[in-house]
Amino acid sequence: MNIQTILKSFVGKAIISDEQASLIADYEEDKPFSLHWELRSILYLGIVLFGSGIGVIIYENIDTIGHQVIIALIAALTAWCFFYTYKHALPYSNLEVKNPKKLTDYVLLLGCTTFLILEGYSQFQYNAFGTRYGVAVLIPTIIFFFCAYRFDHKGVLSMAITGLASWLGLTVAPLSILSENDFTEDRLLGTAVILGIMLSIAGWASEKQNIKKHFSFTYIFLGGNLAVLAAMTGIFSDKAQFIYIVAGIALSVFFVQRARFAQSLLFLLMGVVYGYIIITYLIFSNIESDDASFTFGTFYFMFTSVGVVYFLLHFKKFLGIKK
Amino acid sequence: MKKAYNETWIDNLHILNTADHWFEKKLISQEQLENARKAFPQKFYRPGIFVKIGLFIFTLIACSFASGFVSLFLIGNGAGENISIISLICMAGFIFFLELLIKNNGLYHSGVDNALLYAAMGAAVVPFVSLFDNLEVWQYCIILFAVAFTATLRYADMVTAASAFFLLICLLGNLMMKFPIGKAILPFAVMALSAVIYLLVRKDKSTYYERCTKLIEVLSLTTFYLGGNYLIVREGNALLNDLNLPFAPQIPFAPLFYLFTLSIPIVYIFFGLRKKDRILLILGLLAFALSVYTYRHYFSPFTPAQELAIAGMFMIILSAALIKYLHTPKHGISDEQEGKRKLANLEAILVAQHLGQTPVEGNNVEFGGGNFGGGGAGETY
Repeated sequence: MNIQTILKSFVGKAIISDEQASLIADYEEDKPFSLHWELRSILYLGIVLFGSGIGVIIYENIDTIGHQVIIALIAALTAWCFFYTYKHALPYSNLEVKNPKKLTDYVLLLGCTTFLILEGYSQFQYNAFGTRYGVAVLIPTIIFFFCAYRFDHKGVLSMAITGLASWLGLTVAPLSILSENDFTEDRLLGTAVILGIMLSIAGWASEKQNIKKHFSFTYIFLGGNLAVLAAMTGIFSDKAQFIYIVAGIALSVFFVQRARFAQSLLFLLMGVVYGYIIITYLIFSNIESDDASFTFGTFYFMFTSVGVVYFLLHFKKFLGIKK
Repeated sequence: MKKAYNETWIDNLHILNTADHWFEKKLISQEQLENARKAFPQKFYRPGIFVKIGLFIFTLIACSFASGFVSLFLIGNGAGENISIISLICMAGFIFFLELLIKNNGLYHSGVDNALLYAAMGAAVVPFVSLFDNLEVWQYCIILFAVAFTATLRYADMVTAASAFFLLICLLGNLMMKFPIGKAILPFAVMALSAVIYLLVRKDKSTYYERCTKLIEVLSLTTFYLGGNYLIVREGNALLNDLNLPFAPQIPFAPLFYLFTLSIPIVYIFFGLRKKDRILLILGLLAFALSVYTYRHYFSPFTPAQELAIAGMFMIILSAALIKYLHTPKHGISDEQEGKRKLANLEAILVAQHLGQTPVEGNNVEFGGGNFGGGGAGETY
């Protein structure tokens, strides 16, 4: 099956005319071979390598160069990044603003990163914030939230959310929620659930109120994951179980509901998996005898997993998604 | 071998994808696209990647507990024969459901069928391992290859295709290792086998196996290059001969391998551009990077940091120059952006998460630990 046979069958079924077919054949014949992604990948990889190399060289020669020079350089770079972004920014709007100049997105992200480095560096070298860590974390968070909305940048938004969470002593990075957070502490567990729920609500509200609708994925993904995982930890460790059960199941249902608005089927997967784990745990933690749970488990997992597969095969019908 | 999936639908899917591309390029109208959809129907169930993952996981759970359920009745004293019977029954069951679901639910690599196929293959292999437990490696390779290859022919699954390929390479390696002369010519044998496989799969033009042949092309080109790479051959040679020296010794035919290391990437890139073959091009670029690494591994006068900076600088200059040069397409090559990234949302989050760990509390160590460069400007991109 190649282009010629497809065109022939199209003409045969009277979908396109002969002239159009020969036009398309010409296009397929002459269409240029795009190196776009390859060249971009080489460029970005080059920047990463160059940056790391220079960084190490500077680090090795820090005694001869001096800290002030480096801080000044980073500060200058940060200032330039923000200035560049500001100069090329489009006016604010509640809708998605797509900047035709692709570079500005990267420059803003670079600026935010170097700002963090600058802050960390001055704290490390000169103890600029002393022990007031809260302030040190809150400043970038506020700036990032502002930049995210003003310049319409999802990446910066998730950096801001990360900052907000770490201000409360939490990590929201999806892969390190369980490994980095100390959920043995009750207070932190509660904070995580509340923050996560608030972020999910923020995401839901931004969609309802039509304020930067496309941000809702970031909010719900980061917040929801944090809240559910924290709630699950709470359920497993028998701390104030009931609240966490309600929160965990409500969030799972919320995820499945979100999938309905077809932002991403990722939410469907998350909702189903989290919900399944919570319900399964609740059932088995209430069976006392080992033998009973073994026999029951064989049947339970066999039938429920088939049930979930059935649900996922027909999820459009269950959720009333058309198309 | 009779094919498991509806071939007309697969052809139609391919046709419609092409039509979508034409529509994107405004070569056909919306109405014509709709007509094409009507004229070339396909009823596969193809959910997004995340639903597929869910289906895959839960099918695997179902399979493992179903086999547990069967073994409740038949395990007896746990002898090899009992286990073999259990796995044969399970295999029959899995294949039955696999075929049934493909037929009734229009599955097409939708997660469920992948999981069932792997479970069935796993069950098919168990009797060989439990009944004949003292065969040689190459004999196991042949048995597994037969299973994987048959499955690939019928289901055109990428994982089974890849495992069939690796089993073949493994078989070759194991046989060659038996003879002293075999060890010496192993690199050439790997290259020859890869070349043969590459030429064979290039011949297959069917849509049904398209994804498998693409994958095998990638794998065989990779093993072909690795078989001729000086670094791999030299270090591998030391490893195979159990030479516990601080430095791997020089190898016979060294100039020949220098030549391979240098020329294979160039040949790949050249033909990739000429034939507009993206697989060749990208592998050529990766191979080139490995060749540069090979050179520096033995001959470099610089420190790693300097090398990183120099390599990075060359890459930046080269790509920036090419982007500028290709601003208007030349020689049938362009810098036009094609296609859209499907998971842009997730990408943004992961990139930002990677960078965004606020450095003030706790992360201070980084600045003392020499990890400074890695966290530097670069990773933004």
